Amino acid sequence: MNDIVVLVKASLNPDMVRVGSDGSIDLASIPLKISDIDRNAVEEAVRLKEVLGGKLYAISILTWGPVASRMKDLKLAVQEALAKGVDEAFVVADDSLTPGDQATTASAVKEVLSKEGIKPALILAGEATIDEVTSQVPGRLAALLGYQYLSFVRKLELSGGKIIAERDLEDYIEVVEADLPAVISVTQEINEPRPPTLLQIRRASRKPIKELRAGDLPGIQMPLRKILGIKGIQVTRKQVIIEGSSMEEIADKLIDALIQEGVLKI
Amino acid sequence: MKVLAVAYEEKDIPELIVGTRKFVGDSANIVLLAVHKSASSGDFNINVDKVYLAETSRPEEIVAAIVKLVNEEGVSLIVGEAYKNLRDAFSRVAGQLSMPLITDATEIKLGDDRLVVKRGFLSEKAEMIAEVPLPAAVLFLPRFVKAEGVEGGQPVVTRLEELGGDSKVRLVDVKPKEVGGANLEEAEIIVGVGRGFKSREDLEMAFELAKLLNGQVGCTRPIAADLKWLSEDHWIGISGKRVSPKIYFAIGISGSPQHMSGVQSSKIIVAINKDKSAPIFKQADYGVVADLYQFLPVFIKKLKERLG
Ligand SMILES: Cc1cc2nc3c(=O)[nH]c(=O)nc-3n(C[C@H](O)[C@H](O)[C@H](O)COP(=O)(O)OP(=O)(O)OC[C@H]3O[C@@H](n4cnc5c(N)ncnc54)[C@H](O)[C@@H]3O)c2cc1C
Ligand SMILES: Nc1ncnc2c1ncn2[C@@H]1O[C@H](COP(=O)(O)O)[C@@H](O)[C@H]1O
Repeated sequence: MNDIVVLVKASLNPDMVRVGSDGSIDLASIPLKISDIDRNAVEEAVRLKEVLGGKLYAISILTWGPVASRMKDLKLAVQEALAKGVDEAFVVADDSLTPGDQATTASAVKEVLSKEGIKPALILAGEATIDEVTSQVPGRLAALLGYQYLSFVRKLELSGGKIIAERDLEDYIEVVEADLPAVISVTQEINEPRPPTLLQIRRASRKPIKELRAGDLPGIQMPLRKILGIKGIQVTRKQVIIEGSSMEEIADKLIDALIQEGVLKI
Repeated sequence: MKVLAVAYEEKDIPELIVGTRKFVGDSANIVLLAVHKSASSGDFNINVDKVYLAETSRPEEIVAAIVKLVNEEGVSLIVGEAYKNLRDAFSRVAGQLSMPLITDATEIKLGDDRLVVKRGFLSEKAEMIAEVPLPAAVLFLPRFVKAEGVEGGQPVVTRLEELGGDSKVRLVDVKPKEVGGANLEEAEIIVGVGRGFKSREDLEMAFELAKLLNGQVGCTRPIAADLKWLSEDHWIGISGKRVSPKIYFAIGISGSPQHMSGVQSSKIIVAINKDKSAPIFKQADYGVVADLYQFLPVFIKKLKERLG
């Protein structure tokens, strides 16, 4: 019971969204990438692995299909975690589970743990993903497993089998002490993730990634949510660069432009 | 149809109830659970069937209160506003009771046994419309409706004691967060500062500009959450405030989707950044490619001259 699990999502990359002139968005054309805050979770998990001395696993459930065209991005996300010091990874990819929802994700993680006989002392996750930003999966998982849940943790210490954590809640900071096992969601401020080195990346290619399907996970909750539509929001800005031979000239031109727009009264 | 509405802050109760009524209709029964700062007054003149008070902000105890009421009252919809403590509590409730949870919803429509919801997606570059079965839980985006015309009522008020919750998580200390005086939602001009500023002292320039234009200072997440140069009420973006000023000055801000989602409804966006390939320039109306340390003092001086 000294093992750690870190959850990593291959998220739709909001930087790469193209909205058609009719407001359409082609989800299939948006690449997936490791969700930013999962990098912080991985960084923290690698550090805590030294303290606990067990194995470190990563689990990733594919939310956005189709599997055939997403497998490469999914594996890249997981390989980054492996390169950083995760020992073994499990990915669940099945077209019947896409598009997934947070209920499916949490139950899939639980099923992977029970199928693989992993009983982690700690499960680390990000506070929110970049595509949906729900802050929902870790709390759901904690409830399913009957684990303690510490959300929005921005400082974490492990000693003598106890967790001391600083939780960044809505209007105050809560310092708590808790026993293991626990699910912890970390904030972006908990650490400064370092990108893996080339050597780490090369070594990671030899680490195992086990692929699972819905059929391997008998108790899985199929998606409850049906997506009826996705509409792109088109914001077009003028994108005028104000140029001039001096700061004075640029400043004057900017002031003139703002007066012209009717947003500045002089 | 019975709805459990969970309020975190007293000032949000009218908004939460008006919004819930608007979406679930007049015939639905609403039970209000007031927690944290909304549970302290105990005086409720509002049109709901019952009020329960739980004077706690701890997610563990809020979970225990919600689960107890869902079971006792036979609730098929749980609603609240998306504050962090409620995000935590609702996620556990949804896991425990196996129900869908939609966060940051802007609209819901009730069917017989389902719910159609609308929410932002991909850092608000899109909107998702989805359908989930009831029972379900929904966290609305704060300020999802305007609370006008709140009807009064005389609900029965019950205090919930000894919630218990998760005894294995022991409270060691509680530190309040610093609160500044920012009220960005009302501001007509916002001067946004990002990591392009090298020190806290340098933010003085932004405050001077804001004062000159009768505006307020806002910031990106790292300025508030990481560096703590400004209190969190200045934080703009998907995990901070959403604002709609006439002018948003983005100074030393790169233009990440998580920040820009909070300023999308600004009338005019002005970007000042020394890197001409910074993504902010594609999302601004007017751009100045310059070192803020060179441009801002001149801009402030010129404005002063012309404002007289
Ligand atoms: C789930 C999630 C939620 C998030 N929520 C939010 C949120 O609500 N709000 C938010 O803001 N961020 C949020 N973030 C963080 C976001 O992704 C970015 O990291 C952040 O917005 C970057 O802040 P910045 O622009 O100040 O800093 P940087 O990205 O570091 O940009 C600094 C900019 O300053 C420019 N610069 C440097 N020096 C100068 C100079 N002398 N003069 C002029 N320009 C200069 C640089 O060219 C650069 O473009 C979130 C992230 C995640 C993953
Ligand atoms: N599909 C997924 N696979 C693995 N982990 C996930 C997945 N979705 C969410 N998570 C984890 O849960 C955290 C919060 O995600 P969310 O609840 O979707 O905002 C993420 O930062 C991940 O650590």
